[in-house]
Amino acid sequence: MHHRFRPLMTAATIALVAASPAIAEGTIDVAIIGEPDTFDPMISTKDVVSIVTQHFVETLYTFDESWSVVPLLAAAMPQISDDGLTYVIPLREGVTFHDGSSMDSADVLASMTRWVEVASRGKAIADKVESIEATGDYEITISLNAPYAPLMSLLAFSNSAAVVYPEEIIGDEIAEVVGTGPYKLEAHEPDQYTQLVRFDGYTQPTGAAERTQTPDEIRFVPVPDPNTRVEGLLSGQFDYADGLQTEAYDRIEASDAAEPVLLEPFGWPVFAVNHKKGKMTELKFRQAVQAALPFDDMLFAAFGDEKFFQTDGAMYPEGWAWNTEAGTELYNQNDQAKASALLDEIGYDGDPLRILTSRQYEFHYQMAEVARMALEAAGFTVEMDVVDWATLAQNRDNPDLWDIYITHSPFLPEPALTSSYFSTAREGWDNPEKNEILDRFTSVADPEARKEVFAELQEIVLKDVGLIKVGNFNALQGKAAGLEGVVPSPWPAFWNAASAE
Amino acid sequence: MAGSAASASAPGFFRLLSARPSVLVAFALFVAIVAACVLLPLLGVTDIGGMSVRNRLTPPGEGGYLLGADAFGRDLLGRLMVAGQVSLGIGLGVALLSSAAGIWIGLLAGFFKRLDTPLSRLIDAMMAFPDILLALSLVAIFGGSMGNVILALSIVYTPRIARIVRASTLVIRELPYVEAAQALGTRTPTIMITHVLRNIMSPILVQATFIFAYAMLAEAGLSFLGVGVDPTTPTWGTMVNEGRQFIDNAFFLILFPGLIIAASVLTLQIAGDGLRDALDPRLAKET
Amino acid sequence: MRSYLVRRLVGMVVVIFLVLTIAFVLVRLAPGDPASLMLGPDATPEEVDALRIRLGLDQPIIVQYLTFVTNALRGDLGTSLFFNQSVTSVLATRAEPSIFLALFSLLVALVIATPIGIWAAYRRGSVGDQMSVTSAMLAASVPSFLTGLIFQRYLATDLGWFPVSGYGSPDADFAERMRHLILPAITLGITNSALILRFTRASMLDILGEDYIRTARSKGMRERRVVLRHALKNAGIPIITVVGLTFALLVSGAVVTERVFNLPGMGNLVVNAVLRRDYPVIQGTLIVVAALYVLVNLATDLLYLILDKRVKY
Repeated sequence: MHHRFRPLMTAATIALVAASPAIAEGTIDVAIIGEPDTFDPMISTKDVVSIVTQHFVETLYTFDESWSVVPLLAAAMPQISDDGLTYVIPLREGVTFHDGSSMDSADVLASMTRWVEVASRGKAIADKVESIEATGDYEITISLNAPYAPLMSLLAFSNSAAVVYPEEIIGDEIAEVVGTGPYKLEAHEPDQYTQLVRFDGYTQPTGAAERTQTPDEIRFVPVPDPNTRVEGLLSGQFDYADGLQTEAYDRIEASDAAEPVLLEPFGWPVFAVNHKKGKMTELKFRQAVQAALPFDDMLFAAFGDEKFFQTDGAMYPEGWAWNTEAGTELYNQNDQAKASALLDEIGYDGDPLRILTSRQYEFHYQMAEVARMALEAAGFTVEMDVVDWATLAQNRDNPDLWDIYITHSPFLPEPALTSSYFSTAREGWDNPEKNEILDRFTSVADPEARKEVFAELQEIVLKDVGLIKVGNFNALQGKAAGLEGVVPSPWPAFWNAASAE
Repeated sequence: MAGSAASASAPGFFRLLSARPSVLVAFALFVAIVAACVLLPLLGVTDIGGMSVRNRLTPPGEGGYLLGADAFGRDLLGRLMVAGQVSLGIGLGVALLSSAAGIWIGLLAGFFKRLDTPLSRLIDAMMAFPDILLALSLVAIFGGSMGNVILALSIVYTPRIARIVRASTLVIRELPYVEAAQALGTRTPTIMITHVLRNIMSPILVQATFIFAYAMLAEAGLSFLGVGVDPTTPTWGTMVNEGRQFIDNAFFLILFPGLIIAASVLTLQIAGDGLRDALDPRLAKET
Repeated sequence: MRSYLVRRLVGMVVVIFLVLTIAFVLVRLAPGDPASLMLGPDATPEEVDALRIRLGLDQPIIVQYLTFVTNALRGDLGTSLFFNQSVTSVLATRAEPSIFLALFSLLVALVIATPIGIWAAYRRGSVGDQMSVTSAMLAASVPSFLTGLIFQRYLATDLGWFPVSGYGSPDADFAERMRHLILPAITLGITNSALILRFTRASMLDILGEDYIRTARSKGMRERRVVLRHALKNAGIPIITVVGLTFALLVSGAVVTERVFNLPGMGNLVVNAVLRRDYPVIQGTLIVVAALYVLVNLATDLLYLILDKRVKY
């Protein structure tokens, strides 16, 4: 154990002027946007939960820097049967949990079984899973009833993650999370910090990049206010800060103490569409909304500088395998007259279009304000419902309460990880033609063939207005000057982080 | 003699205004702010071009934006005036509502011995909750509409009025002419309104002025905490809060709304102080 | 004296009961069923029923109320839904920053307000008097989050004189934690100095007009001594009252400041509880804070009594 004792503060060091940035050596302090409400990443899809928990619980597979799936707790990539129905996954031997027990197939079996039962992404494929069996002490076999190409991405994802726990702790709720990760949970004071220390019994993965366990200790500090995160980073209080507002970019760049980390492009803001109930169930009405929206202005109001966004209608930006221009002529029409004509055609009665949003992310609200103006210009009556995030998370599950709600997503390595495409999602987009395309997309294994099917999928997203992608945006994080070893990511990891000094 | 205090105080007030220029200036400034918020939007001078995103964060004085443009390219002056109507409306609403409720509770407690103890304890219990904390909890429970914010803040400030009214009522009730009126069989409600209420209007007015000011500050605080008025309704508080993220590239976005809040709250307090001095019988005695 | 004490104590007990009742009623007033509201939309009906039983919501309302009051009096304020621990233990971990922040900011306010208040009263009506009172009022008129933000930005980040936010690292000792309270205390102290300044000034004005001060003056006592010895001693009593009340309010009235500086105090706890719909924590904090106010109120009144005896002429 690496317990460090800071020398007692002398009277001089507590004096007013002694504002040394108190970074203990070998400790990485990370400002995160809020308190993770659970340490069980199986039951959470929050990015902040992924960021923290990936350090102490691990999945069978993970993504490398180029978003390819690589083994983590698995010893190698699975053997997939020719029909694509059976996945035989070899497990690494000699992996130790933080409680000292060693991992075998019984733990993985229990964990996978729980994942299919409780995780939202696991539940989504439960009907495709025929069986999960331990076929050896260090081998697990997953059998499907239909080929499902995105399975490996699901197993690798840190969000609603298929993590491996010791069999003994598994239940509906996991009280004390025990994992295999390079760091283990040392202390947790809610709303103050989550303290992780190096796990000495860690064995390195064979596929994924080495976890060098450089810092002795990693501390995640929830700082809900974005301004306070910036000030903390610039003053040297934090080595890394997540979720900064792009307005702070110039100031961070000008500072000697810190550097901006721009994730380019990071993700896409989206107007999720209620296909279950209300106005948006009517295609022409959806098309009118799509025609009226000024995407470039919405992005400009939200991000302020072309440096931080691209007006792009493709579901994946250039440079991604999934990038295609199919259907994008319908993006950014900015044609209020056309919208108006569509509304006349269906005899729009002025019933309000309800936009549900929150200010948890200021850019959501900013896009909504600009959208409202354009929609009103086209003849819509718009009702904005601006609530706190907890209320939004609650209300969006009730289709009676909204027509559009605003959210965003990072560009995910596998399109099928985006739940909005599926008719089972809360949006309930149940277009038969789309369902058929999606079925093909998830069952075809060949990457080239999948790309072509994805182009069809993107086209119908735009034509049927399944969801409204606003554009691409870059996310801003920040790191202390000289900090090395952190790969920019929506879910930055700190096991290789090293300060310059 | 006490009956004439209220009527005598009006010229006293103006005498004091002219004697203390700071009060006069404060009073005039506050009236000017209110007038601007009401009149400028009516005259249409403030709405130049609505929302034009490409002009976002235009500095003051450029492109026809006297005080600059906000993050949506809206004229900041126009926004300030519209938001002012809401902020001042909240302040006024809370002052009126808490006065109305406080007067009745205070009168009942002061006039009816049997109600005094329970009502006084209730006032004490309400006062034990810190204002912003109670308002925060109330808004959390009822939801953040403008009406609810006014209601929550009124609940918070009602006990202050009630306490003053009760104390004054207790004194006035014992005055000979009130006792005489009672003996003559004048009905209690009539006494309460004609004799008591008329004589305690001045301390209520002073306190209501302060509540007006505090309510505007509290509203700003609630906006900062994310539980204020629905953000599509602009208030000065939400404007400062929205401006925070532009502290480096458009400081004027927090400067102007911050200034106008501070100016309104300050002038209200100075006016309240002046009012108190003018209406305070002890001071009247000295002059 | 004794009968006064008894009356005060009885009154206090009644007020505490009322505080509990108000807190109970408040949460019941929230629209919708508390159990399903607390659990959110993902909860199954079984989970909601289980929570209803755990919270005793299946009992008649009067039984619920009595249970709530008896539990609260025994120190059981329920269980936080977010932390999964008792509200009292959650509050206990948040007490230190709040109490010390209140103490320090009160100290700052007193250091600013008392001398200026005395001086302003002494120079009543002068330009200096009006200026100092006006600037104190101006400081109190700026929304405190704005003051905090600007202090944080310029004094902490740019000049590096103070920690920017938080309450120190997990292994921070007491002195280090207190260091994190300095700038918040200055922010809060400045905002609250106006009230104390005006109160000091008003009390001094009253005293300076009293007969015994005139007597002291006429006896040829030096002006400074008159002000400092006699007047201040007497004006001190009402000041103690306002200080006591300010302290009690500060303990949780620092909600905004705690938020700006990300301090893990009770104010920040309530804001988070509000955002998380953690009603037991909201309720519990309201009760504890109100009870604290009532106790401090009683204490200052008693102190007033004792001091008043001693200084009577």
